[in-house]
Amino acid sequence: MNREEILKDIRERFKEDIIELFDKSPKRVYIEIEPESITKVASYIFKDLGARFNTASGVDARHHMEILYHFTIEALNLLVTLRVKLEKSRPQIHSLVPIMEGANWIEREIHELLGIRFLGHPDLRRLLLSEEWPEGVYPLRCDYKEWDKDAIRDRGV
Amino acid sequence: MGIKLKALLKSPWVFHLSTGSCNNCDIEILDCLTPRFDIERFGMLLAPSIKHADVLLITGSCNRQSVIRLKRLYEQAPKPCLVVAIGECSLSRGMFIHSYNCPVPLDKIIPVDVYIPGCPPKPEAIIAGVVKLIERLSLPKEAQPQKEVER
Repeated sequence: MNREEILKDIRERFKEDIIELFDKSPKRVYIEIEPESITKVASYIFKDLGARFNTASGVDARHHMEILYHFTIEALNLLVTLRVKLEKSRPQIHSLVPIMEGANWIEREIHELLGIRFLGHPDLRRLLLSEEWPEGVYPLRCDYKEWDKDAIRDRGV
Repeated sequence: MGIKLKALLKSPWVFHLSTGSCNNCDIEILDCLTPRFDIERFGMLLAPSIKHADVLLITGSCNRQSVIRLKRLYEQAPKPCLVVAIGECSLSRGMFIHSYNCPVPLDKIIPVDVYIPGCPPKPEAIIAGVVKLIERLSLPKEAQPQKEVER
């Protein structure tokens, strides 16, 4: 299948799941989908289209939290990004680890830095933060406030 | 000069620790060790273990996870152990001063003997810093410039 056929195929197959398909450039497509259908769409792109899962990135935007899952379809040199928007009050989404093991660590990292819960993740421990870091404080959120009273934030001059 | 200090200054073995640096300072340290700059002519050799080292070269901005390892290494180092902070990050954390992960600068964690600023410092600057350290230590104790008392 070439590029146009694949995009048409995705658009028809997931008609109710796709909110917006943004064809940014010949190498890049953003597909915004409903958070509930992430497992369905990601497993189609990963397993049936044979794409490679690059990574995921989490963003704390003004009105919602976002996760972008980046896939590469290497035969077409096409980067497909699945974008989901989550509510700030209850940020949670289904984990992709049952489909692809490569999502394991990046989901742990997004969980500890942004506080997004991944339902069905086998082992949602911390990945990078130290053990002294308090529970329930997420450093990459917009409303993060310094909790460490001993931190020194001047250069001493 | 005691025999211990004389032996230390004759060939100060260095141990290189990166506490979360971007690798630029580490590349400059490697430059110093390789034949072009060749700090082996001052008797310096990269020690594979901190237990064999006299000088601890530290790069990077001391994040929360690596500070634990840094303290553990400093405890294991045979004393007297000289500490050289290399690069802006280990001096004052540079651009990471407001980072959630870098709460304290290096010199509030362990005592530092030489500060070598730069981002990254040139190999010449690193050599000059280490030579100054050796010069200072080879003076008699009374003539050594005293450290500034902390306010």
